[in-house]
Amino acid sequence: MNLLEAKNVSVVFNSYGSEIHAVKNVDFILPQGKVVGIVGESGSGKSTFARVLTGLQLPTTGEVYYLGKNIQEGTETYKGELRKAVQMVFQDPYSSLNPRQRIINTVSEAVRQHQSPIKSEAREIAAKLLARMGISPLDANKYPSSLSGGQRQRASVARALAAQPKILVADEPTSAIDQSAQSQLLELFSELIAEGLSVVLVSHDLGVIRYLTDETYVMENGVFVESGATQQIFKSPNNSYTQKLIASIPGSPH
Amino acid sequence: MSKPLVEIKDLRIDVRVTRKKRLQIVNSATFTIQPGKLVGLIGESGSGKTMLCRSLVGTLGRRGAYIAGGQLTFDGIDLVNASNKEWAEIRGKRIGYIPQSALAGPNPVMTIGAQLGEAISQGRKMAKTEIRERAIELLNIVQIRRPEVVLKQYPNELSGGMKQRVMIACAIAQNPQLIVADEPTTGLDVTVQAEIMDLLKRIRDEFNTSIILISHDLQLINAVCDDVVVMHAGATVEKLPSGEIEDSHHPYTRALYESRIDLVEPRGKLRTIKGQPPAVGAWPTGCRFALRCDFVKPECTSATEVPLLTLSPTRQTACIRHKEIYK
Repeated sequence: MNLLEAKNVSVVFNSYGSEIHAVKNVDFILPQGKVVGIVGESGSGKSTFARVLTGLQLPTTGEVYYLGKNIQEGTETYKGELRKAVQMVFQDPYSSLNPRQRIINTVSEAVRQHQSPIKSEAREIAAKLLARMGISPLDANKYPSSLSGGQRQRASVARALAAQPKILVADEPTSAIDQSAQSQLLELFSELIAEGLSVVLVSHDLGVIRYLTDETYVMENGVFVESGATQQIFKSPNNSYTQKLIASIPGSPH
Repeated sequence: MSKPLVEIKDLRIDVRVTRKKRLQIVNSATFTIQPGKLVGLIGESGSGKTMLCRSLVGTLGRRGAYIAGGQLTFDGIDLVNASNKEWAEIRGKRIGYIPQSALAGPNPVMTIGAQLGEAISQGRKMAKTEIRERAIELLNIVQIRRPEVVLKQYPNELSGGMKQRVMIACAIAQNPQLIVADEPTTGLDVTVQAEIMDLLKRIRDEFNTSIILISHDLQLINAVCDDVVVMHAGATVEKLPSGEIEDSHHPYTRALYESRIDLVEPRGKLRTIKGQPPAVGAWPTGCRFALRCDFVKPECTSATEVPLLTLSPTRQTACIRHKEIYK
């Protein structure tokens, strides 16, 4: 059974009376323990689709299944177990953490919600989690404003992992941080993947996609124009849009 | 070699934190920009690259920063002691600026035409038709289709790439000798990034403009620039032609180059740089990269100053052990 599956999903936004079709009838499969990448330009609908997968955005039509269960059944999407199972890491590490809360408190709040309601225990778990992400106890006691972008992004990952998710949906996790911080974060991701975490990685950085993913979906104007094994796509892209994307990597011969 | 357009030597930039407290954010930036060259400035966040840029357009004061020492000359003019009047003749006219955030760059309540008009007239009296003609010409240079329509539009009606093109059009409105581009493609797509880079290269070739391109993406810098200047913790650590980056003589540049993900197999071992860059105000003595360096020796941290050593006319490095490490 597939861990996460989207069938015929469409998202339509209303904008001043005109309809915008952000995502058009797409199918998507995330197998257990795999890493699937979604690439595309801004405005192609990849972030909207990622939000559909996490339940932050309701699809206009179509269904999303988690372990074969429709996530929209019941009054609220992603109740209980489902909400725990899918966690998200957002693009911008500068705005996704509460600026008025110390890092350790942000993370332990998530731990208390999902793992242990006892305050002291939650704090301990949170500290361990942060240490694994390479954030020292000293830095964990700081506010987000005094951490670097890379550290903040790792703190966001720690917060997402506090729920012990099965799936991590990462929306452009590396686009706002430095190159050296990026390699630290990617290394962290590959460790987590090796431990069995399934990941949906949304990015326009093809280097990151090539490095981390097993399968890739290429999105253009709300439709997946090409999908398949990542290596295959990079070796011989069929679609003209995919070819254009690959040719735009700095330093590639075009 | 012709006379450089910009000469920066031991430039030091301080920030006023409180009435008495000062913080050094850049303290030994040294490099030159030749006419008609594209120079890439690379460094991690906090390395002082944006502040260096601001010193070139004279907007340091707005952040409470000032030049505390060193030399900065542009076409023979001393920019360190330049008066506001002198700056008014330089900023926007002889030095154009492309800001970091394309999405927030243009004024949201002004039409593109009005903004471009300001950049073109610079407060001078000009006929409306003349301004309009020039605006359309500029939009054609930056390859915006249907310029007549775009002139009447507001920034929110344009895509990120188009906004950045408009900002470039504003920057080149006065045919400047130098364009300062501060991370012009951060947050833009790879395809748009490639187009913007082609545009910058075309402007350089067509108008013989010098361009300083600031980025933290070494791959990008290496692919488009003529020269690369590497900054780390407020100091220039290396300067070299872009083709020779693989043969760098500084461990920091090497580490940056080797941490590229396209060099390794999928999910292979990435080469990461240990730790964080030293925080502003907490720079260690001696080589500031020493704590993160694999080749560190006691003499690296004991030296009070790490000079920029000249290896050849085009190459400089600030590693005192480069001869032992890279034979």
